[in-house]
Amino acid sequence: MHASRPAKVTSPVYSLSHDYVRLVPLGLIVGAAGVGLSLAMGLPSGGFRRFSFAYLTSYCFALSICLGCLFFILSQHLTRAGWSVTVRRIAEIFAMCLIPMGLLSLPIVLPTLWGSESVFHWTTSADWAGSTRIQAIKDAYLNSGFFGIRVVLYFVIWGAMAWYFFGRSLTQDRTGDKMISRGMQRNSTWMMIIFAATLVFAAFDFEMSLAPLWFSTMFPVYFFAGAVMSAMATITLTALLLQNSGRITDEITVEHYHDLAKLMFAFVFFWGYISFSQFMLIWYANLPEETVWFKHRMYDEYGWGRLSLILLFGHLLIPFLGLMARTVRRSKPYLFFAAIYLLVMHWVDHFWIVMPEYSQADHSFTFSWLIDVPCAIGMAGFLVAFFALIAGNRSLVPLKDPRLGECLNFKNGA
Amino acid sequence: MGHSVKKEPAAPRPKTRAVGLVAEFHDPHKLVDACDHARQAGYKKMDAYSPFPVHGIDPAIGIRRTRLPFFVLAVGLTGCLFALAMQYYTNKVDESPIFPGYRFLISGKPDFSLPANIPVTFEVIVLSSAFATFFGMWALNRLPRFANPLHRLPRFRRVTNDLFFLMIENDDPKFDAKRTRQQMEEWGADAVEVCEEDLTDQQLPKVIRMAGVVLLFFLLLPPALVFRAAGQTSRLPRLHVVPDMDWQDKVKTQTVSPNLGSEDDVDYLYSDLRAMRKPLPGTFARGDLILNTEFSTGIKVGGENGPVDSGTGNPVAGDTPQLKPDNSGEVFASTAASQQEGQTTPSTTASNQDPQTQDTQPPTAANNANQADGGAVAVVEPDWVDKFPEGVEVSLATLNRGQARFEIYCSVCHGYDGNGGGLVNQRALALNVTGKAAWTAAKSLHDPTVKVQPVGRIFDTISNGRGTMGPYHSQIPVADRWAITMYVKALQETGIQPETPVVSQ
Repeated sequence: MHASRPAKVTSPVYSLSHDYVRLVPLGLIVGAAGVGLSLAMGLPSGGFRRFSFAYLTSYCFALSICLGCLFFILSQHLTRAGWSVTVRRIAEIFAMCLIPMGLLSLPIVLPTLWGSESVFHWTTSADWAGSTRIQAIKDAYLNSGFFGIRVVLYFVIWGAMAWYFFGRSLTQDRTGDKMISRGMQRNSTWMMIIFAATLVFAAFDFEMSLAPLWFSTMFPVYFFAGAVMSAMATITLTALLLQNSGRITDEITVEHYHDLAKLMFAFVFFWGYISFSQFMLIWYANLPEETVWFKHRMYDEYGWGRLSLILLFGHLLIPFLGLMARTVRRSKPYLFFAAIYLLVMHWVDHFWIVMPEYSQADHSFTFSWLIDVPCAIGMAGFLVAFFALIAGNRSLVPLKDPRLGECLNFKNGA
Repeated sequence: MGHSVKKEPAAPRPKTRAVGLVAEFHDPHKLVDACDHARQAGYKKMDAYSPFPVHGIDPAIGIRRTRLPFFVLAVGLTGCLFALAMQYYTNKVDESPIFPGYRFLISGKPDFSLPANIPVTFEVIVLSSAFATFFGMWALNRLPRFANPLHRLPRFRRVTNDLFFLMIENDDPKFDAKRTRQQMEEWGADAVEVCEEDLTDQQLPKVIRMAGVVLLFFLLLPPALVFRAAGQTSRLPRLHVVPDMDWQDKVKTQTVSPNLGSEDDVDYLYSDLRAMRKPLPGTFARGDLILNTEFSTGIKVGGENGPVDSGTGNPVAGDTPQLKPDNSGEVFASTAASQQEGQTTPSTTASNQDPQTQDTQPPTAANNANQADGGAVAVVEPDWVDKFPEGVEVSLATLNRGQARFEIYCSVCHGYDGNGGGLVNQRALALNVTGKAAWTAAKSLHDPTVKVQPVGRIFDTISNGRGTMGPYHSQIPVADRWAITMYVKALQETGIQPETPVVSQ
């Protein structure tokens, strides 16, 4: 009881890519097969546009997970958190995945740059707004060239931040220099502001501009809430799998899972709070240009009403009650299930945002087991491959963080 | 405990009661060990006291996890249901004989709509959960209590400084005064003492009891006053809680403008004493501009008794429609009426109150009705249009529109099939019998005198009213009035079967 664990990491270090399972080639094969199947099935059913929407759904799903992990790193340095040291490396690696995620954005960005309407119908010069005045105003922001510049800017900024935190953390593994932590804490302040600004506009660009006449200042917060929730689920799931495989032994305790689950719970509710706030204000004000987005999603005449209810119960009420009790937050099997469940719900959330805009004519329900699901599995495969590639034969727990001892002996209050 | 015994030497019944045994320790580690022993010995009702938090004391003393979260969850869910039920009751229920709700129709919105009620529900959940947490913590800690018997022990005061204590209560099933004391000494207690409760400690002091009675009396005053005031009349003016809301500093329409100067130096807002400006000549309020045509009046343009130009009182030239305000009613003016107009100044309040018509003083339907009733002037019927004028599309869509409007505006008196069987008419006729109303029965639209009327005449009746029927020009737009006219014609053609409408031109 009084003895404390020494601040020493004992987990074995071996490459995920070669020694354990060949995760990198496996992930890449699953990714290529999934996305390829989606493309092969999508082309005959709705052309490249059908594939693009399936791809955008799964891409935003994966992108938001990586962004949530970047937020997790920033927030932990910002608050000088001690409890999260041993799970921070997992988040750092997922944040590093933002660099290859930049490459994966090409199937969306390139057609847009060529002026193709395959994803965003604001790319066309034709009268998409129904009003030349509105179109002239919106064209100043929503044009292919500027879109391309912004996307490049996002990934340069996110990549640089992820690279910085990952690199400094690895340097500290070797040198044990405590000043590195101080530097990361100092830089996390202004980086958090930049992160918030880029995330806001990325949410506008990738998902909100699918309905270019619709606008909601709450939308980026909605995107952010889902992103952090899914990041918590991903970190939990990854930690459980890595511990199960023996790549991490006893550095991550039930106390850390308990805290991750608390954050998961908090962001489940934050997501619900924000999505209701967005809905409530638009619903109550009842302005046609705002309500139209929910009109397409709320009612069963378009086929999306049932999915909205699934989100209300599956993404908010059920996990809210399910993650409430302390005992379930400390149960590893339960958390394993909860993390997978929440990730599925997070994908459904993005599907619900993206897909109703596919059919511009009638906004009808569009879903295919052979187009949308393989694409999601493929994207998950890519993410696993990137993770294994970046993790390599590096330690998955920071070795010489000044708060390592605090973290290893951390206990939640009764 | 000695001094309390001294105070009351001949107590008939015991004033103190042993609560438990208190062991004293000089070292926190000894306290933790003793707690461990006590738990292993099977004691349940015990507590440890220390100047600072001691690591490991919770499991040593065997403290179970608190039941508070479950209590809070239960209260939170109750709060959720209560908030929803409360909002449902206030918004949806108004049939209840006592405490009826407020089921008001506002802008056609539904009485009860879940999204609008979520914020209040959320707040009630948060509030009730917070109260449950706070007061539940009190209850589980047996608070509030007036005194803790431990404070009677002089040595216990050092618990805030350098001593550690373990108390095992008398109520514990394993408690045995002799054996427990022995055990405590075995566990390394530096001293063992009996803790006794002075039973008078648990009673309220007399002063507070008296104050409570007085307060209770004052609390009874407001309901007593309310009870006394019920059913009584008062000559006192109403109480104005927010006077600047009841008497707002603003100028209302058609009132004399306020005197800004002193009483001696009169200085009104506007020199003509009006509180508002008259519209500029030749301007119209939005929606008031109507071209003086067959479409807007139902009178043949260029006919013998065509529509008059309200400005000059002269009949309008057939092919030059004039602009004319519509707000005093679509003026059809019989020539007789307009001649009368030139000689007498109408004193109808309706036209006086309308600044826009004050200059032109057009004859109104009310004037006509008054004059017709008086029998002084023979009313010459204008040349009503007998076909639907330009601008009215004769189609099934218009007819359906007319039916919908008819059923909203006309059917309450004239009935759905136009035979005068509307509910208002029935009720008013019933009241006529008991002398509670003086009601002219609504006319059946299938009356032979009505059936022969040209469409322009029916349109005019809808617009300006006839007899006791009021004008509807301000409620129903022109196009809808024509649609109703069309439906009335169709009704007349079909008798009383509105399901098979026949369009008749």
